[in-house]
Amino acid sequence: MSVILSIPVLSFITVLQSAVVSRLPLNRGTADLMLVVIVAITLQKSVKTAWQWSIVGGLLIDFFSGLPFGLFTTSYLITTGIAFHLRERIWRFSFLMQLLVVLSGTIIIHGLSMLVLFLQGSSFQFSTVLQVITLPSIILNFMLSLPVFLIIQDIVQQLNPPE
Amino acid sequence: MNIRFPKSIRILALSLVAIGILALALSGVFTSLSRLVVSPLTSLQTWVSQQYQGVEIFLSASQDIREIRQQNTELEAENARMQAQIVELQQQLVEYKILSALLEFARANPEHKYIGASVIGRDPSPFLNYIIINRGSDDGLRRGMPVVTQNGLAGRIVQVTASGARVSLITDPVTRINVRIEPSRSAAVLTGSITGDITLEQIPQAADVNPGNLILTSGLGGNYPANIIIGQVTSIKSRENDIFQSASVQSVTDFDDLNIVLVIINFDPIDISPLLPNAETP
Repeated sequence: MSVILSIPVLSFITVLQSAVVSRLPLNRGTADLMLVVIVAITLQKSVKTAWQWSIVGGLLIDFFSGLPFGLFTTSYLITTGIAFHLRERIWRFSFLMQLLVVLSGTIIIHGLSMLVLFLQGSSFQFSTVLQVITLPSIILNFMLSLPVFLIIQDIVQQLNPPE
Repeated sequence: MNIRFPKSIRILALSLVAIGILALALSGVFTSLSRLVVSPLTSLQTWVSQQYQGVEIFLSASQDIREIRQQNTELEAENARMQAQIVELQQQLVEYKILSALLEFARANPEHKYIGASVIGRDPSPFLNYIIINRGSDDGLRRGMPVVTQNGLAGRIVQVTASGARVSLITDPVTRINVRIEPSRSAAVLTGSITGDITLEQIPQAADVNPGNLILTSGLGGNYPANIIIGQVTSIKSRENDIFQSASVQSVTDFDDLNIVLVIINFDPIDISPLLPNAETP
């Protein structure tokens, strides 16, 4: 998967995230399509450029978000690291790994977001945020995971047919 | 021994035989014989005729089915076109209603100049309450301009590009708006939160605030023009030992259904930060 290809593909994902996915909340939580896509790409063994895809996706979301620049890039890079770590050790049950890494990624992004907002002076109850934003977001990310994983798997196999 | 009769006699004999047969037939002698021969033929003819009619009906029916199917396909296509048209018209009706409501708002508040903008996106993070609109600096928009809907205040512009702008909604956690509570005219500060709830803080203990009271911008601080409706008080939290009361607010704007907004373009926000006591002096 070429890095050049990542720019138009992930730009489209960013637009889709902002224009559609963010408008479909469950309670106050929303799905993170970019996270789900990056995790699905990283978990494909034939993909050698997952780090680059992660950086491009993170930067694009950072451009669109009002959170401090770099928060999403950092979060996606940590999540990609987790995905790589698991990919090297567990070679089966890819979809279960997808769920596990998406869960980790969501917790990392939400944790960092809460930390930043807390440092900026916002007051909130952790349990309320967990109940109203984080848990619904995890559910939505899980719901997106299966179709995204299958689509990415199919695309990667088309681009890199097994020898 | 061959006996050959003259031709005329043969003709006469044949004629007599024919006449005889006819006479016998007319007298009914052959009736039972003809029944015996004709009945099976009639039955056979009836069966053949029925089979033929069946085949004829089958052939004509299959042609009818083909015609019906074709008509059905055409009607389905027509139906799909009509459905799409209905959805489009319903969408236009919704837009028309919003636009006419916005126009009403603009007429009711003629002191401001407005630019309409469509909401084209939201912040990717669920922790921030931002919207992205399709107007930017090319349209005369600048940072700090207030954004309203037909119902009341929505937020203000925090970032502008050439063709778009990011609007911080009043539900955003960083929101701090000086407001006035009607009818008591008490001052308070409206704040947003991560969960999207908005609350009133710093309401003086002496202030007479009740559920249903109206919240309007006060204009203090210079960030928003005065007298824009924000919402209504829904509940009050007041304890004797506290310096201030606080209250929950129900916004008049439905932030989950923002499609078109108005930007007030003739309002210049005032930066009073240099005047604040803890500001650094050169």
